[in-house]
Amino acid sequence: MTPVDRRLFTHINWPLLLVIGCLFGIGVLNLYSASGFRMGDGVSLNPYYQKQCVWGVAGFICMVALTFFDYRYLKHVAWPLLAVTIVLLALVPVMGKTVYGAKRWLDFGLFSFQPSEFAKFATLMVGALMLSNDSGKLGWLGLFTVLAAALPPAAMVIVQPDLGSGLNILLVLCGMILYRGLAGRVFKVLLLVVPIVIPCGWFFLKPYQKLRILTLFNPERDPLGSGYHIIQSQIAIGSGQMWGKGFLEGTQSQLRFLPEKHTDFAVAVFAEEWGFVGGVVLVALFCIFLYILVCTARDAKDRFGSFLAAGVFFYFFWQILINMGMVLGIMPVVGIPLPFISYGGSATIVNFCLIGIALNVSMRRFVFKKT
Amino acid sequence: MAKTYEPDSGQQAPRGGLILLQVLILGLFCLFIVRLWYLQIHKGEHFAELARENQMRQASIIAARGMILDRNGKPLAVNEPSFALGMIREDCPDVQGTLQKVAEWTGLDYQVLLDTYIRGKKRSKPFEPLVLISNLSYELLAKIEANAVSWPGLEILTRHKRYYPNGNLLAHVMGYVAEANEEELEKDSRLALGDHVGKQGLELTLEQRLRGEKGLKQIEVDAYGREHDQQVLLEPRAGNSLSLSIDMDLQTFASKQLEGQAGSIVVLEPTTGKVLAFVSQPTYDNNLFVLGIPPKKWKELRDDPMHPIQNRVSQSVYPPGSTFKLLMAACALSEGIIKPTDTVSCSGSYRVGDHDFHCWKKGGHGSVDMRSALVHSCDVYFYQLGEKLGIDRINRFALQAGFGTPTGIDLPHERSGLIPSTAWKKRRYGENWTRGETLNCSIGQGYVQVSPLQLAKFYASLINGGKVIRPSLVLSDPVDVQGQLPITEKDRDFLMKAMVETVNSGTGQKIKRADAMMGAKTGTAQVVKLINADIRAKTKDTPYKYRDHAWIATWGIKDNKSYVVICMVEHGGHGGEDAGPLVRNIYDYLFGPSKPLPPAPKGEAAQAQQPQGRQD
Repeated sequence: MTPVDRRLFTHINWPLLLVIGCLFGIGVLNLYSASGFRMGDGVSLNPYYQKQCVWGVAGFICMVALTFFDYRYLKHVAWPLLAVTIVLLALVPVMGKTVYGAKRWLDFGLFSFQPSEFAKFATLMVGALMLSNDSGKLGWLGLFTVLAAALPPAAMVIVQPDLGSGLNILLVLCGMILYRGLAGRVFKVLLLVVPIVIPCGWFFLKPYQKLRILTLFNPERDPLGSGYHIIQSQIAIGSGQMWGKGFLEGTQSQLRFLPEKHTDFAVAVFAEEWGFVGGVVLVALFCIFLYILVCTARDAKDRFGSFLAAGVFFYFFWQILINMGMVLGIMPVVGIPLPFISYGGSATIVNFCLIGIALNVSMRRFVFKKT
Repeated sequence: MAKTYEPDSGQQAPRGGLILLQVLILGLFCLFIVRLWYLQIHKGEHFAELARENQMRQASIIAARGMILDRNGKPLAVNEPSFALGMIREDCPDVQGTLQKVAEWTGLDYQVLLDTYIRGKKRSKPFEPLVLISNLSYELLAKIEANAVSWPGLEILTRHKRYYPNGNLLAHVMGYVAEANEEELEKDSRLALGDHVGKQGLELTLEQRLRGEKGLKQIEVDAYGREHDQQVLLEPRAGNSLSLSIDMDLQTFASKQLEGQAGSIVVLEPTTGKVLAFVSQPTYDNNLFVLGIPPKKWKELRDDPMHPIQNRVSQSVYPPGSTFKLLMAACALSEGIIKPTDTVSCSGSYRVGDHDFHCWKKGGHGSVDMRSALVHSCDVYFYQLGEKLGIDRINRFALQAGFGTPTGIDLPHERSGLIPSTAWKKRRYGENWTRGETLNCSIGQGYVQVSPLQLAKFYASLINGGKVIRPSLVLSDPVDVQGQLPITEKDRDFLMKAMVETVNSGTGQKIKRADAMMGAKTGTAQVVKLINADIRAKTKDTPYKYRDHAWIATWGIKDNKSYVVICMVEHGGHGGEDAGPLVRNIYDYLFGPSKPLPPAPKGEAAQAQQPQGRQD
């Protein structure tokens, strides 16, 4: 067994760990408030925050585990992982478990999981592998090759139906493609074509998805459904004003006017209780977190590591943008959680795993340093 | 100690990409800060105000359904308190877990509860209780109350449950209420899941009058979701209570007359059209449907060969037999094709083409005029009358008299019956009308189909001065005259006298009374056509389903009170013989027992009492 390089320990990305620690801490504290269905005697009946701590510990262990090997090893497992993912996704319609009308889970008796989470990892790695092959800008051939690898899993996730996760996979990949850079002619053509193609996607949306988009512009359109979410979320955030109503004092969340407040709308609880000041702090923490990931991508010792870090960056960037955009009423309601703040077992573990990969890349940035 | 490192050449991160990422972070930061500033600082006061309003929850207050009483104030449909299990979904942190628990307590299927929840979610506001189970039994109620404390979001709701104290005595009239189904909820936006609506009978037709309007209350809640204060914003308006024309004591008495048999009895006030008794036997207990009838019980009712759910007064149609002859006579007089004194010779049969149409009396009635043809129900007379009139004139007159269309009584799903015409047959079968068919229809057989209620309406018009009045069940509703029989006072008087004579010396002697003016026309409706109509077995020797239907249509006037009573016994045999005594009992109830009659003259009465062939 090769001894572990001691330099690895000295090069641990402490700022990243610190920011993650802060965000996760805020998340748990916020869940304590959000899940506080408190009876008159002050008993909290639904301790989401406790469960979230358990997931956090599990995630932390996964994260640490993912730092113990050289990330370049992932080059060898990326394609097999993608193949396994596609097989698992194909199994979902056949033997998947239906929860709330959608088949997304595979049940293995002792545990069940969503193959769509796997798909995020697999496409991220395959994307990093393909895009880091050479350093030129991406031409048509390169672009189509990368898309051909990512589209099957994304499409299979979308038809589950899980539009949120499917779009997430596509968006991460698109982000990584932009990070690599497109050849001038490709970029110009896409600049013309994409704005035409995207509106065509409208016709493929399910009626409730269309309604969500229409509701964004006019929440009163569906005041008991998705409009209700937007209206209540804005009331909660807005009524927090400058300094917030105080911890555990948010009337909108405590009186349960706010729906899904421990998952997708968790940040509304935070903004209500901590006000504009708290909101700015949270947004700033997320931006610092993202900036550290940019630094990781910049300082990686090879292009594969850099693209892995960029993939992790986009994974979090889109989630933050979409979730906060939805809660703040500037994006349609899509079921995408806010990293480290929303409650959720598999999401928490996936988040920590991706941080583990970023840490892995970050720790090994000095190994082949120039002297 | 600061160190600078550089990756291998050719392995550097894309410079443009790094700039892009930093621009994205900056954009993200600016976007969210601006939006937070807009919501929390710029519009903060506005949202704070909305948040204060949010602490007021609104809930509807159920309105009591109007009661239904009989003409003497006896309750026919009342409201009893009932309990439902509701869920306030925003108060319920774990919907699936809670439903699982409810399923455990109640033994109900989890999937059914989940479906109810998903359906209800679409139709209720987040803080409105969504009804999971209606009409909880006391046993279930106790179980849920004991356990619900640890499951937030569950709430026991107090509601009203319909109860019919007379159960099956009036089931066909009252119908029943039950939980609104998907279609009804879709149609009527005022309904919520778990609301009860009329499904059958008067409960259905009078739904809008009985239902009332829900009220609205505002509840102020504190930070723990506890109710602080309640304020009624809109008082609920209870539905109107209605009195029916039904006399429950008479209804009970009349029902007893048909006990063990299938058939119907209608008692009507001819001058107002108000129905005093509306008996359809056998019957069922409508209370069963209020709580949701158990599948086994429903199967039993549905598959019962006697069809207890069938309303035999307004939803069943039968050939009217000889009771139709009054209409034939009225039609002939109105058309002026015959004088009452014109005679016809009855030899026991009438030949049309190569087919003999028989009279019920094998030897024939000899020379008969209209009066004796009605009194003795001579078929040959009416065959010839029908031939002279033709089916289309009969059709026109019958429609004016209220046949062939629903009577318009306040009950749903009424049958029209059928009065054929040449055009109808062409349309229905693509064939021409035949003479023989006219003959059959002339004695109330063949295609002719009427409901007992239509017959009651027609007989009422004969004795009330010719007014065709809509039969009605609501006491306070005004008399609804739909038309006028095109018949002169003199002819009408003649027909009444013929009916009186039918009672005095013809086929209706069973209802004869010394102290009242009584009129009747009996009828026996063939169920199957036997090859030799005049050599038929006795009723009791014929299998039940082949036995004839026994009709009697009567009226009685005493002390300024007049009634029309129609009785129809399915497969009951002969009208006068089998239905007559039942009607007689009803008149005894209405007018009080009468003195014994003087002994009848031997000849006529004996003839009437010992039927021969298909006698009425």
